[in-house]
Amino acid sequence: MNSETLNTLNSYSKNKYKYGFVTEIDNEKPKKGLNEETIKFISLKKNEPDWMLDWRLKAYSKWKKMKEPKWANLSFPEIDYQDIYYYSAPKGFEKKPKDLSEVDPKLIETYNKLGIPLEEQKVLAGVAVDVVFDSVSVATTYKGELEKLGIIFCSIGEAIQKHPDLIKKYLGSIIPPGDHSFSALNSAVFTDGSFVYIPEGVKCPMELSTYFRINAENTGQFERTLIIADKGSYVSYLEGCTAPKRDDNQLHAANVELIALEDAEIKYSTVQNWYPGDEDGKGGIYNFVTKRGLCAGRNSKISWTQVETGSAITWKYPSCILKGDNSIGEFYSVAITNNFQQADTGTKMTHIGKNTKSKIISKGISLGKSQNTYRGEVSFLRKAHKARNYTQCDSLLVGNQCGAHTVPYIDSKNNTAVIEHEASTSKINEDQLYYCRQRGLSHEEAVSLIVNGFCKQVLQELPMEFAVEAQKLVSISLEGSVG
Amino acid sequence: MSIQENYLKNKKNIFFSENKDIQNHREKLINIFENDRFDKKNNESLKNINLKNFIDFKYKYLIPEETSVINNNQENSYSIVSVNGQCSNFKDDKIEITRILDKDYNDFSKNNSIENNDYFINLNSLFLNSGFKIIIKKNNNIKIKISNIITDDYLTIFQKNNYICEDGSSLNLIEEYENKNNSTSNILNVIKLEKNSQLNHFLIQDNSPNHNLIITSHSSCKKDSTYNQKVYNFSEGYVRNFHYSELIEPNSEADLQGIFFLKDDNTSNNKTFVKHLAEDCKSNQVYKGILNDRSKATYFSNTHVDQVAQKTEGYQLSKGILLSDNASYFSKPELKIYADDVKCSHGSTIGPIDENAIFYLRSRGMSKIAATKILISSFINEELSSIDNEQMSELIQKKLVRYLSKVK
Repeated sequence: MNSETLNTLNSYSKNKYKYGFVTEIDNEKPKKGLNEETIKFISLKKNEPDWMLDWRLKAYSKWKKMKEPKWANLSFPEIDYQDIYYYSAPKGFEKKPKDLSEVDPKLIETYNKLGIPLEEQKVLAGVAVDVVFDSVSVATTYKGELEKLGIIFCSIGEAIQKHPDLIKKYLGSIIPPGDHSFSALNSAVFTDGSFVYIPEGVKCPMELSTYFRINAENTGQFERTLIIADKGSYVSYLEGCTAPKRDDNQLHAANVELIALEDAEIKYSTVQNWYPGDEDGKGGIYNFVTKRGLCAGRNSKISWTQVETGSAITWKYPSCILKGDNSIGEFYSVAITNNFQQADTGTKMTHIGKNTKSKIISKGISLGKSQNTYRGEVSFLRKAHKARNYTQCDSLLVGNQCGAHTVPYIDSKNNTAVIEHEASTSKINEDQLYYCRQRGLSHEEAVSLIVNGFCKQVLQELPMEFAVEAQKLVSISLEGSVG
Repeated sequence: MSIQENYLKNKKNIFFSENKDIQNHREKLINIFENDRFDKKNNESLKNINLKNFIDFKYKYLIPEETSVINNNQENSYSIVSVNGQCSNFKDDKIEITRILDKDYNDFSKNNSIENNDYFINLNSLFLNSGFKIIIKKNNNIKIKISNIITDDYLTIFQKNNYICEDGSSLNLIEEYENKNNSTSNILNVIKLEKNSQLNHFLIQDNSPNHNLIITSHSSCKKDSTYNQKVYNFSEGYVRNFHYSELIEPNSEADLQGIFFLKDDNTSNNKTFVKHLAEDCKSNQVYKGILNDRSKATYFSNTHVDQVAQKTEGYQLSKGILLSDNASYFSKPELKIYADDVKCSHGSTIGPIDENAIFYLRSRGMSKIAATKILISSFINEELSSIDNEQMSELIQKKLVRYLSKVK
């Protein structure tokens, strides 16, 4: 965080919380640093019941004893947890640009390339939303429709208030707070995120997206998402957006939990395009995300699709625990790193039930001086009869200063299970390039075309409107680094 | 008994314990063990191993009474019997065999990065009590067969061997490990291939259930040299095969292959690591395993391509067949690539024997067991048919038949 941001935040916090609270800790400002007071402050600010505070404090006491996982192929300076604000409430309007003319022209250029409508551009750039674009009304229309079907879609804070039974039952059941240090950290200080519950037999008629949620504007740095699909239901959830997002928060540690009961299906798509830092590798977001899904019931299915182009550091392994018999886990990923970005991403498929199936398609593209690692674990436990896995991870290298790495862990304890893994690493095929150039494409266009083809298997898994933007995003990510 | 006590007590039996320089180095190693800096939980070299057996070992070594025999009844062909890891000195105009010297110890132990993370290599350096050095002189074409014999029960052999193939030489090396006396051998082979040399290295491992074999090799290849290694592991006791190869000059090649046959409660750990440090090099890593009963195996393969190593071709393949529902196989085929003009790939499969193939054979009147056996043989046929030595081929066939007779 640069000093300017700190100053702004400082002055802002002083002004905002000078008055108002009654209990002891109320007088405390949201200071920098992590301690019990901070957690009590967050809990109080969100008006949470006692059991939630206890839960957070327990997670915090676990976090204190933990160290960051170090096995990833990433190098970054030590994170000073005491130098971070853990409660950044929606920023005041005074800080926001008033219209698009005040927004970084580079950003606008990218929006135009992605073909984002003007109104949406304003939202993305953080122009005070309520004035220009009535997202609230859009959101509420959808909300009514969802409510008719009995679907609960709200912020996690709201769910803690309104649906404590579901939260008590499921929160932390897939990612226990003590799993690793980032999950403990998130459990202690999470401030925002989505909660989705799809009742029995309901097929959610639209793609749910944080974009439609009323308070989606400030997604927060410690997001917590919980999606529960009850028996026979279906939901597709979109996270993030294709446009680059400016964000002052350096550290992001989100937790996402999915639970699919019998015959249910969850499709979770992410396009992550946080600020990756500049050409010299300065700045950028550290993205440490834990995503895990549990196929709890028979015939359930969880499918992860991700397009990772942003962040200085990506540490992300959306995984599936295939517990129910005949359940299916899928993982489709495109990770593009440029300049000094580092990505260590992959998945984990744990086969517990009979006839469980999983499929992993991962495409990594490294450019510039970046490092791109695929790290995946597939394990068949003893009772996973006739389980099946197919893994394909391909890497493409553009330029001779980047690195592409593949680290799969394959563990089989069942003699009827079949696992196949293949991976290849190469540069862009000269013949393909020659063919394209011969037909009049510029070098850059040709590379972009080939890379898009390389990623196609994954991009086609994205919901329609997302897919188009994602393709453009891939081209934009390649810009300036080829030729 | 702690490692330190064990070391101090047996110091007089250990090589080079008078050398101050080496002593300092060993003290550092002891420190690593004693200070618990050793990350036991996440250390790859320790997966599936009951570490206690190897920490609380009783050091026992006997200096062999009879010296080993070196024969060269045929031209360019030598057979060596190494007794308790030792070998008598020999010299002619083609090869030279000597005891390992403190210079060789330093040469390897101090300039090696794998050592810090490998528990067994550290033990080897610490308790070193045997070993020899073989030099193949320039432009000679030699065949050597080494039989490793251990004379007594419960011995702990810590052996370091050096092989140097000088310019233009070619060596066909067959090593046999067949022991039945509950000992533990910890062997490190350091192999240097000079320009335009070639080494075909066969390791045949067939020990009894209580005999532990820990074998590590570290080869480095200079310009136009080739290192081929083939490991055949039929042991009923624990075997660890860790093989590292460095391609340090252009146009060199490393080919590390292995097959292992496990049954009962046996465990085998395997690792191959190829480091491409120069242009135009090729590497190949292929391991195949058949696991029966409650056996466990791990295989780590690794291709590292340095930034300067353009035009690299590096391939990995790992295949495992699980015959029993209590067997388990862990594989981790890793690629680390820092250069762009490369062709690298890895493939890994684990599964049962193909049911359709069994069905095909059974529909032609074969019993299920016979079909299974045929399919196992065909699974590794490629590795077996590439052996050009008739005697060895027969020997391995025999061992395979013995293994298959236990398959039900």
